[in-house]
Amino acid sequence: MQQFLTTTLTGLTLGMVYAAFALALVLIWRSTRIVNFAQAPMAMLTTYVALTLIEAGYSYWVGFGAALLAGLVLGAVVERVVIRPVEGKAHINAVILTLGLFIVFHSLAAIVFGSRFRSFPAPFGLRGLQVGDRTIALTGFGIFTIVSVLVVMLLLVALFRFTDLGLMMRASAFNQEVARLLGVKVGRMLTLGWALAAVVGSLSGLLIAGGSLVHPSYMDSVVVFGFVAAVLGGLDSPIGSVVGGLLLGVSLSFVSGYLGSDLVALAALMILMVVLLVRPGGLFSHAPARRV
Amino acid sequence: MLQVRDLTTTYGAVHALSDVSFTAPAGKVTAVLGANGAGKTTLLRTISGLVRPRSGQVELDGKPITDTPVETMCRLGLAHVPEGRGVITELTVEENLRLGALGRAQRSGPDELERVYTMFPPLADRRGSPAHVLSGGERQMLVIGRALLSKPKVLLLDEPSLGLAPRVVAQIFALLRRLVEADGLTVVLVEQNARGALSIADVGVVLNLGRLVVDDDASALASDEQLRHAYLGF
Repeated sequence: MQQFLTTTLTGLTLGMVYAAFALALVLIWRSTRIVNFAQAPMAMLTTYVALTLIEAGYSYWVGFGAALLAGLVLGAVVERVVIRPVEGKAHINAVILTLGLFIVFHSLAAIVFGSRFRSFPAPFGLRGLQVGDRTIALTGFGIFTIVSVLVVMLLLVALFRFTDLGLMMRASAFNQEVARLLGVKVGRMLTLGWALAAVVGSLSGLLIAGGSLVHPSYMDSVVVFGFVAAVLGGLDSPIGSVVGGLLLGVSLSFVSGYLGSDLVALAALMILMVVLLVRPGGLFSHAPARRV
Repeated sequence: MLQVRDLTTTYGAVHALSDVSFTAPAGKVTAVLGANGAGKTTLLRTISGLVRPRSGQVELDGKPITDTPVETMCRLGLAHVPEGRGVITELTVEENLRLGALGRAQRSGPDELERVYTMFPPLADRRGSPAHVLSGGERQMLVIGRALLSKPKVLLLDEPSLGLAPRVVAQIFALLRRLVEADGLTVVLVEQNARGALSIADVGVVLNLGRLVVDDDASALASDEQLRHAYLGF
């Protein structure tokens, strides 16, 4: 029972981070049909921004805010400078550009910040909370992880559901031509979409880094899990990406806890294959399978 | 009033439109007729700025709009309902309508939304449903209602009768006629269904392979037997 609870809680915390990363991928995929492979190194760069500030003596929260802001700017710049010029061409061009960015950002980080491991602080305790006389697997930072991802998701839902801006962003994502004809400045909406996605990506970067080590490629393994989570939920569905992230986090945590941590990557691959075989559009797809 | 002067649009080496000129008079329905591939859809797409012309001018109430970006057209009072209806099926009925009201100079109140619902009762029953559940006729109502919410002076409609039952087409056409008479709307109506379009149009233009063949009163076009046989198919 104790182990079951521990495994579940660890999985949920980890799943929230995958969910955030998957959501960042989905936001971009939904509006542009591009898988942004540069999402991980972008989040890595913004985490370094936070680390630089924190090491310069600013508080964790200044670094946290600055990293999210840096994500916003970086997302917008990447869309404007790198992606916009190939808009309207085959999607593969943009995807390959994001792969290129992946390499460029890695090298850039190694040059600017160095490639050694550096420890990143956490704002809350990393010891399991005490319930009665027992210690459970939920840490203060774990709670912060879950809450911050939930808050960001609720804010995004509110933006998309209840505001005119969100409506215009969705219209641009679903049908650019009609959106243009109705007076929506689609270009701006796409830039904003990339910017918001990068903010969510940055959040996942900060949460992975918290209380752990940062290195130019520390986010790379998250790409795999984030991508599996996104596919699991159906690449088109933001809600699906969240559920996919949680499902994946918990499943992998169980694999790791009961079968052995060597099998985690294999299990992620198995889950991906089973989903693609059984429900190619993902768990939350309502459209028929998309042509790839 | 919408004026098109010497409009030429090319796709690569293909001339989709060659030196097309006509005037769509204010408060009237202008039917644009012709066979498949005559350039009707290209004409509308060039007018609304989705396609840039190689040469020629488009003027709205005397002001040139040829170089205006598509996104600004609806603020100038030009609404374009594209072929295939242009319903954003992932959004709800009400979201589609709200979108129409966003693209105009001043914001519209909720009463204008209600006015569209009164005009199209089937939409009112489904305001919260995703638009993909609507039938063909309801989708046509939705896009017309959405276009009206942007308060257009000129409404460009591309094949509104496509795939609809004759009874529904008659309803839509009757409604267009009412809008023109009651609100003074200017309509440019592209149609394959020449007989139906001419029955509600005031003037008509006939295109053939990208060139203007004739530009006349709708009744004159409808009674010209030779023209009907050659270009209009009835």
